[in-house]
Amino acid sequence: MKNSERSRLNGEAEEEDDEEENLNGGLEAWERSYADDRSWEALQEDESGFLRPIDNSAIYHAQYRRRLRGRSLTVATARIQKGLIRYLYIVIDLSRAAAEMDFRPSRMVVVAKQVEAFVREFFDQNPLSQIGLVTVKDGVANCLTDLGGSPESHIKALMGKLGCSGDSSIQNALDLVHGLLNQIPSYGHREVLILYSALSTCDPGDIMETIQKCKESKIRCSVIGLSAEMFICKHLCQETGGTYSVALDESHSKELILEHAPPPPAIAEFAIASLIKMGFPQRAGEGSISICSCHKEVKIGVGYTCPRCKARVCELPTECRICGLQLVSSPHLARSYHHLFPIAPFDEATPSRLNDLHNISRSTCFGCQQSLLASGNKAGLCVACPKCKKHFCLECDIYIHESLHNCPGCESLRQSNPVVANEG
Amino acid sequence: MIFKLEDVTVYFPYDNIYPEQYSYMLELKRALDAKGHCLLEMPTGTGKTIALLSLITSYVLSKPENPVKLIYCTRTVHEMEKTLAELKLLHNYQTRHLGPAAKILAIGLSSRKNLCVNSRVLAAENRDSVDAACRKRTASWVRALAAENPNIETCEFFENYEKAASAAVLPPGVYTLQDLRAFGKQQGWCPYFLARHMVQFANVVVYSYQYLLDPKVAGIISKEMQKESVVVFDEAHNIDNVCIEALSVSVRRQTLEGATRNLSRINQEIERFKATDAGRLRAEYNRLVEGLALRGNLPNAWLSNPALPSDILKEAVPGNIRRAEHFLHVLRRLVQYLRGRLETENVEKEGPVSFVASITAHAGIDQKTLRFCYERLHSLMLTLEITDTDEFLHIQTICDFATLVGTYTRGFSIIIEPFDERMPHIPDPVLQLSCHDASLAVKPVFDRFQSVVITSGTLSPIDLYPRLLNFHPVVSRSFKMSLTRDCICPMVLTRGSDQLPVSTKFDMRSDPGVARNYGKLLVEMVSIVPDGIVCFFVSYSYMDEIIATWNDSGILKEIMQHKLVFIETQDVVETTLALDNYRKACDCGRGAVFFSVARGKVAEGIDFDRHYGRLVIMFGVPFQYTLSKILLARLEYLRDTFQIKEGDFLTFDALRQAAQCVGRVIRSKADYGMMIFADKRYSRHDKRSKLPGWILSHLRDAHLNLSTDMALHIAREFLRKMAQPYDKAGSIGRKTLLSQADLEKMTNDGSINEMLY
Repeated sequence: MKNSERSRLNGEAEEEDDEEENLNGGLEAWERSYADDRSWEALQEDESGFLRPIDNSAIYHAQYRRRLRGRSLTVATARIQKGLIRYLYIVIDLSRAAAEMDFRPSRMVVVAKQVEAFVREFFDQNPLSQIGLVTVKDGVANCLTDLGGSPESHIKALMGKLGCSGDSSIQNALDLVHGLLNQIPSYGHREVLILYSALSTCDPGDIMETIQKCKESKIRCSVIGLSAEMFICKHLCQETGGTYSVALDESHSKELILEHAPPPPAIAEFAIASLIKMGFPQRAGEGSISICSCHKEVKIGVGYTCPRCKARVCELPTECRICGLQLVSSPHLARSYHHLFPIAPFDEATPSRLNDLHNISRSTCFGCQQSLLASGNKAGLCVACPKCKKHFCLECDIYIHESLHNCPGCESLRQSNPVVANEG
Repeated sequence: MIFKLEDVTVYFPYDNIYPEQYSYMLELKRALDAKGHCLLEMPTGTGKTIALLSLITSYVLSKPENPVKLIYCTRTVHEMEKTLAELKLLHNYQTRHLGPAAKILAIGLSSRKNLCVNSRVLAAENRDSVDAACRKRTASWVRALAAENPNIETCEFFENYEKAASAAVLPPGVYTLQDLRAFGKQQGWCPYFLARHMVQFANVVVYSYQYLLDPKVAGIISKEMQKESVVVFDEAHNIDNVCIEALSVSVRRQTLEGATRNLSRINQEIERFKATDAGRLRAEYNRLVEGLALRGNLPNAWLSNPALPSDILKEAVPGNIRRAEHFLHVLRRLVQYLRGRLETENVEKEGPVSFVASITAHAGIDQKTLRFCYERLHSLMLTLEITDTDEFLHIQTICDFATLVGTYTRGFSIIIEPFDERMPHIPDPVLQLSCHDASLAVKPVFDRFQSVVITSGTLSPIDLYPRLLNFHPVVSRSFKMSLTRDCICPMVLTRGSDQLPVSTKFDMRSDPGVARNYGKLLVEMVSIVPDGIVCFFVSYSYMDEIIATWNDSGILKEIMQHKLVFIETQDVVETTLALDNYRKACDCGRGAVFFSVARGKVAEGIDFDRHYGRLVIMFGVPFQYTLSKILLARLEYLRDTFQIKEGDFLTFDALRQAAQCVGRVIRSKADYGMMIFADKRYSRHDKRSKLPGWILSHLRDAHLNLSTDMALHIAREFLRKMAQPYDKAGSIGRKTLLSQADLEKMTNDGSINEMLY
C-alpha cells in the first residue's frame, strides 16, 4: 500500500513537473490570446472596490472640447479663411517599429486601414484637394504615389506595398516631400501628415535645417505618433504650425487621423483670392455606352462627361485625363461650405441648474431626448448652445459639430419664430 | 497676486499659486514668527525658491520694525544666479505695487574667479591661482611698493574702488553676479571687494554654503551678519556631508613633500627679512605676546567659530611659537612626525586624544601649540608679505590639520591607510582626519542666527536631520506635489524577464544572470521610451564591470540600435562633452542613453528634465562602500552619540542618493517621467518608506513587485497617457493652480485648511 501511495505521489509530482514544463516552454494558443489581449487592463476598481470598465468617455470629451476651442480660436483670428485646396503628402513610417503588435494585428496594418478610411474621408470633405503617399523604410523615403485626386489608386498602391524593416528617418522623408511640394502652384496649401511608429530617427544630416526649410516653404507638418511623445516631432509641428498627437489605442488613432480631414485655417501669407478653373460634368444618360478615359473600358450608363473635351470619366471628383480640367460636382463644393461657417462651440452647462424643477426640459438632451442626469445620483456633464440655450448631451454635442454642422435648437427656433430667423 | 497670509501681506509675482506653495509659506511664516529653525521638504519643480523669497521679503515689508536679513545659501554658482534672477522678478513686482518703499539691496557673493573683471587676473585657470593673482596686485604692501615704483603692476579696478572709499556703494536693487560685474566695469570699481563690503548692508545675500559652514571662510565673510537674520540652506539634503567635509583634512605624501618645500621657502623669506627689515618680525612678536584679541584685524564680534573656541581669543599665542623661526621648527617636526606615521604597513585608527599624546611624546609639540598653528601661520604669511598663496596650500593643509586635532577631542578620528582598499598593490598612504559629527560645523550657525531654514526636494526621513545636525526645529514638514495628472511613475522592479530576482547585493553582484537581466531590461526600455534615458549605477567599478559584460554578450550592440550610449567618467571635461552630445542626440530625435553613477557629479548637479530624461533607471541600491574605515568610524560615532543605528543610517543615506538620482528627471509640473528602482531590496518596507513622500504617494502597490515585462507594459501605457494634451489648471475639485480670487474664497469659507492637511 505504501508503494502504491508513493507511486501516486510520484505521479503527481511528475504531473506538476509536466505542467511547469508547459509553462516554461510557452503558453498554449488560447492562453496566449488572453495574455496578448490583456483584457483585464480594460477594468479598473472604483471607490467601493467593484470592477468596472475604464470610463474614458469623459477624457475623450474633454479633449474634444479643447480641440474645438482651439479651432474656434484660430478661426476667429484667421477670419475663417480656410485652405480649401490642399496638397497633402501622407508619410507612412514602415520601419522596424511598425511591425510591433500592440495594435492588432500590427501597427502597419492598422495604419494602412486607417489611411484608407482617411483618404476617402479626405476627398469627401476636400473635393478640390490632392493626396500623395510616401513611405519610409530602411532609413530611405520612397514616393509611393504622386499627388492625385483619386482615392482608389492611392489605396491600391498602399495595400500592395506593405512590409517593414530597418530604421526610420524624418529628415529623408521631409527632404523628399519638400522637393515634391515645392513645385505646386502657390494657391495650394502644402501639408504633410506623418504617421510615425518609431521612437527615433536616423538622419543623414542636421534635421533642424530641414525643419527650417519646410517652415520657409510654408509646409504645414503634422505628426501622429503611435507609441510615445518625441521631442523632435513636437518641435517640427510647433515650428511649421501643424499639430502633434499621440494615439492611445486603435480607435483613438483613427480619430486623430480623421481630425486632419477638415481643412486647416489658411496661413495668412497665402490668403490671397485667386480664380481656379473648374468643370461641372454632366451625368451620362441611363443607357448610353462609351469608353471611359480612366479605365479604358466600355461602360454602360455610368459616368460623367467632361464639359470641355467631352471625355467620359467614372467618378468625381477628379482631374480630366484628356484636358486636365478639375472636375467636380456641385454637392462637393457645397460640402466645403460649412468649413467656412462653423457653429460656435457650446458652453459647458453647470449641473446644478439641472435640478431646477421649473425647467424640466433642461434635464433632457434637446437632440436625442435622453435624460441628462447620469446613472446614479451624480449629475452628468452637459453643454448648452450659446444662441438658443438648449441643452445637449455630450454625444449630440460631438455629432452636431462634427457631422451635422447645424444646431437643432437654433434651427427649430428659426422655424417657430420666422421674425428672428429673418433678422438672423 | 497679493494676498493676506495671517497678518502678512504677501506679494507674489505670478497670477496663480500652487496650493503647496501656499502651505509652504504658511509653515515658513510660523517658523519666522516663532523665531525658530525649520525643516521643509518640497519637491523640485513646485516653485520652492520663489515661495521662500516672496514670503521672507513680504514678511520684512509687513513688519518694518524688525528688519530681517536674508542669507540664502546655495550649492552652486548656477543656482545662485537662478535665485537672484527670481528675486529680481519679485523685486520688480513689489516695487511696481509698493513704489520705493519696497527697495532692497540684494547681492550674490562668490569667489574672485566669478566676480573679477580684470582680464589679466582672469587669465589664470583655477580658483586658487585667480585668488593669488588678485592678491599680487591688491595686497597692501604691494600697493605701497607700487606707489614708489610705477613698474609694479596693480589692479586699476581695486585702486579706483579704494579711491572712492566710502563713496563706493551699490544703489539699491538686485544684483546677480553678472550685474555686479557689469556695474563694476562701468564704475571702474572692483566688484569682488565691493560685494564683500556691501554684504554688511544688503538685505539679501546669496552665497555658497562654504561661506557659513567652513570655519576658515566664515570668519572672514560672515562675521558681521546680524543675529536677526534668516539663513536658508537650499538643496540641503547633503548638508551633513558638507559640514563634515568642511572639518575633514586628508594628508598624503605629496602634501608633506609640498609642505617641506613651503617651509624652506618660508625660511628663506625669514632670512631675507632678518637681513633687510628685522623690525617687522619683532613687531609681530610683540603683537603675539599681547594676545590675538588685541590684534587689529581680529574683530571682537567673532562668529563663534568651532575651529577657534572662545578661549583662543583670550589666550595669547604660546611662547614657543611666537618667534617665526621657532614656529618653523615646530612645523618641521610636525611634518617629520606625520611622514613617519605615513610609513606604516597596517591600517591604523586613532582618536584625537591619543594622537595628540603621541605627537607630544615623539615630536614634543603639545596640544595648545597645535591649536594655534592655523592662526600663527596666517599671521606669519601676512608678516612675510607672501602673495602667491596658492603655492602654500600644502602647509596650510598641515596647519588646518594641526588646529583641528588640537581643538577637538570628540567627534573626530585619525585614520591612516597605507593603500587604497580597492587597489591593495599600489602603495598610496593617506592620513585622514575625518569629522564624524555634522553638528560641529553647523552649530554656530544655529546658535547665532534667529531662524535657519533647511529645505530641499528630498529630506526624507525628515526626523533624521534634526538628530544628525543636533538642533530642534519648530516646524518640520514634508509637502506633496499637487498634480493635474500623475506625471511621475515610479516602479520597483524586483525580477528580470526570467522571473529571477535582481539585485546589486554583494553576493549577487557577480551573478551573470543579474547582469543579463539588467541588460534585458534596458534593451526593452530603449525600444519603447522616446528620447533620453538615464541609468544610474551604484559605483564606477560596478558600472565598468556591467558594461564590459554587456559588451561581451552583445547587449550593448542591441541598445545602440535604438539609442546612442554615453558614459560618465571621472574626468570632468570628458563627462561634460558626453553630456553635451547626449543632449544633442535627444534634441535631434536620435535618442540616447546616459550611464552615470550615483553620488557622482551628474547625479548631484545635472538636470535631465523634459525629453532629456523620460526614464531613469536606478540599478541597485547605492549604499556607501561599507568597508571604508572612515564610514565605519562615523557609524560607530553616530551610534554612540546620537543613537542612530548603523543600518538605519546606511539605508537613509542610500535612499536619499537614490531619490536624488531619480529626482533629476522631473523639474516642473508640466514635465513627466518614469523612475525604475531595479533591485529587489526596494520592495522591502524599511527601504521604501525612506523615499520622499512625493515619490511614495505615486508609488502604487501594484508597482511594487514588477518583472521586466510588466514594467514594460506599464511604461508603454504611461507614455501614451502622458502624450495627451491636458488642462494645466486642473479640473474642479482637484485645483492645482489657485488664482487670487480662488484663494480669497477658500480663506473665507475655511476650505483652505482642508486643502492643506
